[in-house]
Amino acid sequence: MKRKTVLITAAAVLAVSGASLAVYAGNTRRETVLEFGMFTGSNWDVENANSFIIIDKAIETFQETHPGVRIHYYSGVRKDDYSEWFSRKLLAGQEPDVFMVLGTDFNQFSSMGVMKNLEPLIEQDKTFETDKYFSSAFRTGQYGGNQYALPYETVPTLMFVNKTLLTREGIAMPDEDWTWDDLYSICEQVTKDADGDGRLDQFGTYNYGWLDAVYSNGVEIFASDGSECYLADDRVADAVKFIGQINDLYQGQNATQEDFNAGDVAFMPLTFAEYRTYKTYPYRVKRYGSFQWDCITMPAGKDGDNVSQVDTLLMGISANTRHEELAWEFLKLLTYNEEIQTEIFRSSQGASVLKAVTQSDEMESIVQADMEEGDTVISGELLGRVIEEGRIVPRFKQYEQAMSLADSEISNILQNDRTVDSSLKTLQRTVNNYLQQ
Amino acid sequence: MKLMNGSKEQNIMSEMKDRRVTAFQGAMLAINVAMVSYLCVFIYVTTEQIRAHYSARAFLDNVVTIPADPKMNLIICLLLMGGLAVTFAVRHFWTNIPNSWTVATLIVDFVICGAVIYQLDFNYNGLLLMVFANVVAYVQDGKLKLMFVVLAICGYLVADYNLLSIYMPLYRVSDYIQYYSANAQQYLFSINNIIVSLNIILFIAYCVYVINRQRGTIEEVNQLYHELQTANEQLHEYADMSERMAQTRERNRLAREIHDTLGHTLTGIATGLDACLALVDVSPEQTKKQLELLSKVSREGIQDIRRSVNELRPDSLERLSLEVAIRKMVTEMSQVSDVKIYFETDEKHLKFDEDEENAIYRVIQEGITNAVRHGKASRIWISLKRVDGEILLVIQDDGIGAKEIKSGFGTKHIKERIEMLRGTVSFDGSNGFTVTARIPIRWGETYD
Repeated sequence: MKRKTVLITAAAVLAVSGASLAVYAGNTRRETVLEFGMFTGSNWDVENANSFIIIDKAIETFQETHPGVRIHYYSGVRKDDYSEWFSRKLLAGQEPDVFMVLGTDFNQFSSMGVMKNLEPLIEQDKTFETDKYFSSAFRTGQYGGNQYALPYETVPTLMFVNKTLLTREGIAMPDEDWTWDDLYSICEQVTKDADGDGRLDQFGTYNYGWLDAVYSNGVEIFASDGSECYLADDRVADAVKFIGQINDLYQGQNATQEDFNAGDVAFMPLTFAEYRTYKTYPYRVKRYGSFQWDCITMPAGKDGDNVSQVDTLLMGISANTRHEELAWEFLKLLTYNEEIQTEIFRSSQGASVLKAVTQSDEMESIVQADMEEGDTVISGELLGRVIEEGRIVPRFKQYEQAMSLADSEISNILQNDRTVDSSLKTLQRTVNNYLQQ
Repeated sequence: MKLMNGSKEQNIMSEMKDRRVTAFQGAMLAINVAMVSYLCVFIYVTTEQIRAHYSARAFLDNVVTIPADPKMNLIICLLLMGGLAVTFAVRHFWTNIPNSWTVATLIVDFVICGAVIYQLDFNYNGLLLMVFANVVAYVQDGKLKLMFVVLAICGYLVADYNLLSIYMPLYRVSDYIQYYSANAQQYLFSINNIIVSLNIILFIAYCVYVINRQRGTIEEVNQLYHELQTANEQLHEYADMSERMAQTRERNRLAREIHDTLGHTLTGIATGLDACLALVDVSPEQTKKQLELLSKVSREGIQDIRRSVNELRPDSLERLSLEVAIRKMVTEMSQVSDVKIYFETDEKHLKFDEDEENAIYRVIQEGITNAVRHGKASRIWISLKRVDGEILLVIQDDGIGAKEIKSGFGTKHIKERIEMLRGTVSFDGSNGFTVTARIPIRWGETYD
């Protein structure tokens, strides 16, 4: 009798625990939570009030097509705090499944094995064609020959042209294949003391630096892994000398943002994000109301092309994700889905990483909607070309420091009129020493 | 001598369970548990510190990589080390553990160590020294031991952080240590190094101990072998000596026998013949009487000599008297073949000439063999009687018998033996099998 009771009790306990386990398993299966890591605001250091719109739309789309899956993201992490926030999550092993990765973090995270190598996923996915991305944007997500992240949003640098000034000086708009010589001759023509107070009040360029010239002269400053720099290259020297020549036109004076805003500067390099923000409500600032403007490519150096810097925001998958398939699907939705990518033009300030989206008529009409009447809208073709041919910003660890070291030294060379070639050789040695520490 | 050997063997057998060895192994386990726990807890605590101080990103700049989940890492490692403690306990507290189980626990140890080392990203591979030490102590099979040792050594060489970090990103404990201030770093590095060194020192001490003990055992075995050889040589000498002594004793006996019997009789006969020579002319009657007496004496001498020679016969069978030999054979045969054999005789002194005794013995032997082999008998009756100055030997069994008596059933030898003694033999296979033999015996009067 007693034994029977024990047996029945045991069976009952087993049944209850089995049932609860089944319910638990069923529950967990009913709702899979995919974590998404993102920062609030723009990656391009411009104001952005709509940072969640695209993500919310993507989540909605994803949850519709994937019932039982919920995507959760942490809101309110600012871009400045994102790296630390993500690193803390990473240390505790709680990193999100899919996440935005900052340019300064990408190489470090890839080398740590934190980011999932996407190559096998790309290979398996027959519907996925890498050719649809701008190759510069796509290559940004590569580390050590493997794809660790996909591009989400990209921002090229363009040359802002004051059309009114050029027309006033009787100068034709440069075409897309213009060169340093063209730039220099225009600068020579427009730089003058108009009111005769002994100070220059009209300039050729504002903010056009040696780095812009280097990019367009067919040379890299750093090896892609950051092991050495090529500052002593003749083409770098030519670029620095070219900037020196332009500076010489200004007789020791420097153009300011105010000069440009007042319509007294012919050229200013501007990122696509800046180009768009200044025009977008509620941050519409009619700074440039006094003149008409247009965008063109950067002028080509004698050894290079009309190429500029392209910055790309990347997204990756955690190497430790438990939902690899879902994470890949969601990453694809964000970066590869044309509808979501079109949203970038509507709600963000960068450009889509998909050729078909950036070069579409729809893009032009979206951008047009934000513009003043009479402003010339950048053509999708031009934007596409600039992005496709763009120079990727190197992403190795010491890049920022090495770059500021080089930049301050080159400014020094230009200001003090030192011999460019020998000074660059010395600088190269200094920077290499730093890189090889 | 033999007893001493036995106890030494037991010593060798029980050396596995040596207390000092157990202490060594326990200490190594404790050190390794301490080290693994220290590493896991240290990484977990440091991670929490970094997170609390919001210095995660700066920290990541100075690391190769980080463990996926430090907390999970800690839990998994502690569980795995618990597993090692369990196998240790199984080996030490389960007396009479089968050898295959010991090997199984060692394999489990190996797998667990591999898992822990992997979990620790190869930052600590001292665990393999422990496995190595256990293998040296437990595995007797040469090939298996070699395999284990090679595995452990390869593992120790390959599972090296510096080597493997070339091929894959592995986290480094020193990266975590470097998070702390220079002062704290010194302490932390010291703790790390002390535990690692302690493990190695313990391992070396353990190896030296085991090697020393094994060398002691080998020397002991060598000494025992030497003793055994000496004893063997002595035995050989003893055997030679006793053989020589036996020969001498036998010669002495022969000499004594000859002196006692032949000498005595011949002396008597010689003296009697001298008397006859003296008497023959005086009293032929008296001489005749004397000669009859001498004849009797010489016959008695013959008897004596025969007896003496009989006693000197070396044949093992015939050293016993015929009756005893037959009874012995009967007993032995019934013991080995599970057949009941009954032997009866009414003669008190079964003592015949050698050839006669031989024949009787062999015929009985052959008869029993036949009954068992061909007749499948379960009972055999043997009787030996004196009938009309002849010996009547009957061997009867309850076996299957034979319808026709064929030679080659073992009967041929019997027939030959009996006929050599001018006797007769008959066989009957109708009711069991019966051998009936009549042998005319020389009852001791004649000697040719």
